[in-house]
Amino acid sequence: MSTATAEKVDDELWSAIGDPTRRRMLDLLLVEGGGTATTLSQQLPVTRQAVAKHLGVLDRVGLVRATPAGREKRYRVDDAQLARAVAQLASVGSAWDARLRRIKRIAEAIQRAQQD
Amino acid sequence: MEFGTIEREVFVEASPEVVFEVVSSPDHLKEWWPDDARYEATPGSRGEIVFGDRDAGGTVVAFSVVDVVPPRTFSFRWTHPDGEVAAEGNSLLVTFDLTPSGGGTLLKMTETGFREMGWEVAVLEQQYQDHFTGWDFYLPRLTAYVATLKVRP
Repeated sequence: MSTATAEKVDDELWSAIGDPTRRRMLDLLLVEGGGTATTLSQQLPVTRQAVAKHLGVLDRVGLVRATPAGREKRYRVDDAQLARAVAQLASVGSAWDARLRRIKRIAEAIQRAQQD
Repeated sequence: MEFGTIEREVFVEASPEVVFEVVSSPDHLKEWWPDDARYEATPGSRGEIVFGDRDAGGTVVAFSVVDVVPPRTFSFRWTHPDGEVAAEGNSLLVTFDLTPSGGGTLLKMTETGFREMGWEVAVLEQQYQDHFTGWDFYLPRLTAYVATLKVRP
């Protein structure tokens, strides 16, 4: 993939994920292992039609995958694509935050032990 | 946002000597990062770090020590292909800089090479995160990250 293409895809990905309602939807889909526009709209302060529209945006960037479920579609989060989106930026930094917290804890414990 | 570098700073209430030991020795490294670490803390030493169980599907990653200046600097390269010499363009460079500060140590970490290697490596980094593999960890950070997007021009 060329850099330009990657950037375009990432822009769309981030814009899809940048909406609070869509993030809440992803959250619910992850917690419940999937859902439909109807089940999601029952838990969110937006209409079923609005939820369906948001699901369409998430589907286009590959963050969710749809399977037919009766008259509706059932959506699941595409773990790989979400992992990719999150991994790219936020979690690389977070990984180091966590590692540095552990470094701090270990070093301070050693220092205290040496002073005792 | 700078995509090529990660920078972090933390104040540690311990002497630079102690902090240096914790960031550089393989025995300590595996307390705060991989499950196993095999290398000599000397410049040019080539070794490996292991995520998971080496004999049961674990991931073995190349690890080469670059600079060792106790108690000021420790740096290493990792993620280069097995058998290749670590260099700019094939690996990530992690540098720890230690500065004495008010009875403790200011520890600065930089990781560079993402721009050169591409973001597949960032995904790799994410896979190596010990202790934090669940979405309950990622999602709150996602929200925090997205909030920072709004200040971009």
